[in-house]
Order: sequence, then structure tokens, then C-alpha cells
Amino acid sequence: MSCNSAVASFVNGQAVPGLRAEAGTEVMSYRDALHWTMRDALQRHDSVVIMGQGVDDHKGIFGSTTGLAKEFGTDRVMDTPLAEEGMTGVAIGAALNGLYPIQTHIRADFSLLAMNQIINLAAKYKYMFGGRFDVPMLIRLIVGRSWGQGAQHSQSLQSLFAHIPGLQVVMPSSSQTILDTYPAVIDRYRGPVISLEHRLMYDLEFYVYPISIKQEIDPFGSRLVRQGEAITIVATSIMVLEALRAAEHLARLADIQCEVIDLHCVSGPDWDLVMRSVEKTGRLVVADTSWREYGVCAEVCRIVAERNPGCLKTPVVTLGMQPAPCPTAKCLEDLFYPDLRQLVDVLATAVTGKQGHGVPLPDTQSMADVYKRFKGPF
Amino acid sequence: MDYSQKFCDLFFQALRIRLVEERIIELYPSDGIQSPVHLSIGQEAVAVGVCRDLRKTDLVFCTYRSHAFYLAKGGSLAEMFAELYGKITGCARGKAGSMHLAAPDVGMMGASAVVASTIPHAVGAALAAKRLGHDQVVVGVFGDGATEEGVYHESLNFAVLHRLPVVFLCENNGLAVHSPQKARQGYDILDHARAYGLPVYHIAEGYDLVKVADTMSDIIQRVRSTREPVFVEIRTYRYKEHVGPGEDFVSGYRSKEEWLDWKQQDPLEQQVALIKTIRPAILKEIDEAIYFAMSSPFPPVEELLRDVV
Repeated sequence: MSCNSAVASFVNGQAVPGLRAEAGTEVMSYRDALHWTMRDALQRHDSVVIMGQGVDDHKGIFGSTTGLAKEFGTDRVMDTPLAEEGMTGVAIGAALNGLYPIQTHIRADFSLLAMNQIINLAAKYKYMFGGRFDVPMLIRLIVGRSWGQGAQHSQSLQSLFAHIPGLQVVMPSSSQTILDTYPAVIDRYRGPVISLEHRLMYDLEFYVYPISIKQEIDPFGSRLVRQGEAITIVATSIMVLEALRAAEHLARLADIQCEVIDLHCVSGPDWDLVMRSVEKTGRLVVADTSWREYGVCAEVCRIVAERNPGCLKTPVVTLGMQPAPCPTAKCLEDLFYPDLRQLVDVLATAVTGKQGHGVPLPDTQSMADVYKRFKGPF
Repeated sequence: MDYSQKFCDLFFQALRIRLVEERIIELYPSDGIQSPVHLSIGQEAVAVGVCRDLRKTDLVFCTYRSHAFYLAKGGSLAEMFAELYGKITGCARGKAGSMHLAAPDVGMMGASAVVASTIPHAVGAALAAKRLGHDQVVVGVFGDGATEEGVYHESLNFAVLHRLPVVFLCENNGLAVHSPQKARQGYDILDHARAYGLPVYHIAEGYDLVKVADTMSDIIQRVRSTREPVFVEIRTYRYKEHVGPGEDFVSGYRSKEEWLDWKQQDPLEQQVALIKTIRPAILKEIDEAIYFAMSSPFPPVEELLRDVV
């Protein structure tokens, strides 16, 4: 657990008032943090190879691998055929024989073609053979959102992977969490890790600690990113930023102090951290980037229900995507995803115990409009 | 008959595998081996011939029907029986059973129960060998049914594209569970493989120990020096049912005659005198392996959650 190591402080180049920016002193975008960790891995480990469709092209996986093929060679930053299962199997075989593959899927949805290799093989290779093999590899999945990404370019599949023993699943919510997680995983962890990066965050800039300051942070830990007494928000990925924005709004206008936990590692969260917070506040909202059914929302509820249901003063509220495939029309898409107004409303209702809580709600503005810089096809 | 030293060595290895599996059949009704067994009986010459000139550092990735490859590559017999009996001394600490045998110290890199799923692993291991400058040869073993899977195509393409030192070894017994090849494939395996632009070999006499070994010796030598992929199809015959210890000729999906024809060619059926001379030593080794397995403890409770991540 770390406190305040990863807090959104810049959005669209504008400092967001109230967000705590004292965590670090330098500014780095999510994209640049990814690029830095990719380059760092290639520099420090001869065994690292980056494999994925388009990793060596001029767009370089939204800028996270740009220029690396030129610097390190196309045998280390390797464009691949359109063969998700085969390439995942190739990565597993390479990992079994001494390489550290970093595989990219420019849309998380494409990893579904590799599910056999990820679930039947990578996740099981260590256990099934009695610990005689390690499969050290990192699979980067990018979750798309907004501008008509639609049903097959937008899925946030963390619960599918986190359901399977043997996989570590992380969801970086800031530049600092990338810097804390990727190098540590690549240096020290010997199993398969799946990271779900959020496309909307690529352009965001965050305060980070200077790179030269090495921090010993558990790459699979959860993070307490804001302290408060009134209610606990457990969030993942970009919903951590929404939770922080909601918390600032409530603090400023209603003197309601929310505690925010970035679950970060959804395959093995720090449940003690979650329980300590819920036991302190007695109230819980879970905000995930995916569907609520059988997912992170459901899992957080399971843990609280099993460990200490009596600590809750009010029913748990969960926020996630509506139970449908993602639509493309903006008016529908805006309804499909939870927004800041909704989050503030459920928090105020839970804390005050009243539907008509009287707390002013923020203007309706879709998250995509707030965070998005990119326009048009990719 | 060729009783050269080479033949005798190969024959010993093949007979050892056959006698091990025949012992499994004997033991099966006792229910001590609680694992689905896919027996290699009839296919031993393939494993023995392929592995003969492989080094310990060369890697083999296999299928669920891999008792033969595990033993031919040098996996411990005692650890194999212990694994079948679900013991902590098994090659996978009692977590693999028959279908996931492995012995990484001798290059037996594991077997998967999902058809075709280890083919890309062989390609990836060859990619690592190339990148790290190792002189390894990697063999991906699969059956004829695996050639119907998409990942087979993906693997061939990548290996050829990147010129990787891998042998695609199709162990063709003509059956996928109970379905004959002609009911499943609208293509010819060799013609299809040839289209990828890699050298293609065919061995029709998968029972012929020396022929398989000599041909494979040349092929492995070629891959070791050229560092480029090859495809090999070896015809063979599965004597037993798809899974389990029995025969299933009465079920009607294949004829007993083809089995009898194959057995006419099979030295492990024909060389009765030779079998008689070497059988006792092998049986002694098997007895010792079984004693080791049966006298070993079961995995303790803490093994349940060990090695998950």
C-alpha cells in the first residue's frame, strides 16, 4: 500500500483544482510512462522482446513503442502476423526458453482470440507441471472508449482474466502506477501478467516521483489514494480519476470526505486495506470500468459480505457499464458508461441517507469529453 | 534382420516404452492410477527415432499422448509412475497426471491436453534460441488432427517468416479420437505444409526403428546447421482406444485388419527372440519404478495452493 503516490493532477493540460499534486514533482503523461518503461526494459534486459501488431510502425501502439524498433532492432521490437493465439503461444514458448516477451493488443478485445493460450497454457504452465516451469511475460491490453469504439473495441475484460488462477491482472490508473509496476514486474516476477491500460488516459499528464528515486512498492498491491471518513470508493483504472474528481467535488461543496482506494491489482487486491477502510467509513461505492455482473464490483461485494457485512451502515452501491454491448451513438454511449454526476449523486445519497440530499451535482459532461484529446481514427 | 547396435539400442528404448504402457494396462483396474491415459502403444518408434539424435539441451513440446516421448527424451521412469499415482515424487508433484508429463532437465518441455496448443510454444522456444544464440533444435510434436487447428497455420507461418530452428513433427495415426482423417481434412497434409515454403519430409514406415531414426538424424542435423524450420510427417498406428487401456476394434470405426497389417511390420511384435532376452531387465526397472511410486507419499495439503503464481 502506498498513499498519494498516484494522483491525477493534470487533465487535458489543465491543472484540476483541488486534486492533490504533492505526490511527485515531475510531470509525465501516461503514454510517456509506458514508453519509458518499454525502453527501460529493452535497455536493461537483453531478454526482453516486444511483440505485437504494429509495435514498429509510425504510430507505435499509441506512442508507447514509437522509435523503439529503430533503436533496438526489429528482432526485439517485432511486428507480428495477425495471429493472436499463435503469437501468444510463441511468447509462451519464448518465455520458457529464456526470453521475456512483452505482448501488445491494441484493443483488449483482440486478446479474446488468444484465450486458449492465456487461460489453458500461460496461466497453468507453472502449476500443472509442479512448479518446474516459469512463464515470465507481460501482456498489455488497451481498453478503448469513446468516439464510437463500439462493441468490439471497448471491452474492459479484467474479470475474465482475474477469474483464472495463475494470472496476475493489473490496471494502471496513472503514470506513477505504470512506473511502479512494469519495471518491478519485468525485473522480478516470473509469471504471466496482464495489464489493462486505458486509452483515455494516454494523453493525461500526472505528477510522478523523479525516475531516479527508486521506490519499493509492491507491483501487485492496492493503493490508498485519498483519505476520508465518510465513505469508501473502491475503483479501478480511469474510475480512480473519476472517484478523485467526485471526492474533490463533495469535499468542496458539501464537506464530505471520501476515501479512495485504487484496487490496481484486480487478481489479488489488498483486501485488508479495503476492509480497514470500509470498517472505518461504514459505506462503500465500487466503481469499475467494466460490467458489474460477476466482475470487480461483484467481487468486492463478496469480500465485504464474507468478511464483515455488519460494518456497512448503508447498502453497497456499484457503478459500471450498463449490461449491454457498447453502443456507438454518443447519446447512448454516454448513458452506457457511469459519469461523474452519477457518481457524486450515489455518494451523496449514501452519505446523507437521503435521495434529496441537496448536494449540488456537477454539470453533465461525459468522461470522454473531459479526458479525450484524440479525435478520429487511430 | 538388422541386429546392428543401432537397431538394438532403438529396439530396447521402444520395448521399454511398450512394456511400461502394458504395465499401466495391467495396473489400471486397481484404480491406483486415477488419470486418463492416452497410450502410445504402436507409436513408440516415432518417439524413439525422433529423440535418438536430440541432445538434452534440445527441446521437445508434446501432446497428451506422450508417455513415449517423455521416456524417449530421457524423463525419469520412476517419476513418471509416481506422477501417474498422484504422488509428491512425481515429475509434476502429483499435479499433472498422465497428460502433462515434463522433464525440463532433459528438454521434455511439457505436454498439453488441448490439441495443437504446444505447436506455437516450439516456435517461440526456437525464436528464443535464435535470439539468444543457442544451437538448440526444437521439436513440436502434434497429431494429424492438430493440422486442422488455426494455430498450426499461425505457427508454420511465423517459423518460416523468421527462419526458426524448429521441426514440425506430425505424428499421423490417422485418427482424431474416433474420426478418420478423410472425414476431417479437405487438404493433403504434406501439400499444405509445402505451401509454406519449408522442406517437407514423409516417413511412411513409422514402425521402422532404423528408418525413422536415420531420417530424423539427417533432418535434425540439417536444422541444427541451417537454423531453418522443416516439416516431417511420420505415419504411425494407434493400437489402443483414444483414451484408456482397452482395444476398441469392435466399435466399428476402424478395421481390425489394418491393425493386424501394422503389427506384421512392428518389430515389437515380431522380434520375439530379442524381446525374450531383454525383457527381464526392463521389467526389473519397471518394478523398481512402481515400488518407488507406490511407496512415495501423496502430496501434503500445502501443495494445493503451491506454484499457482
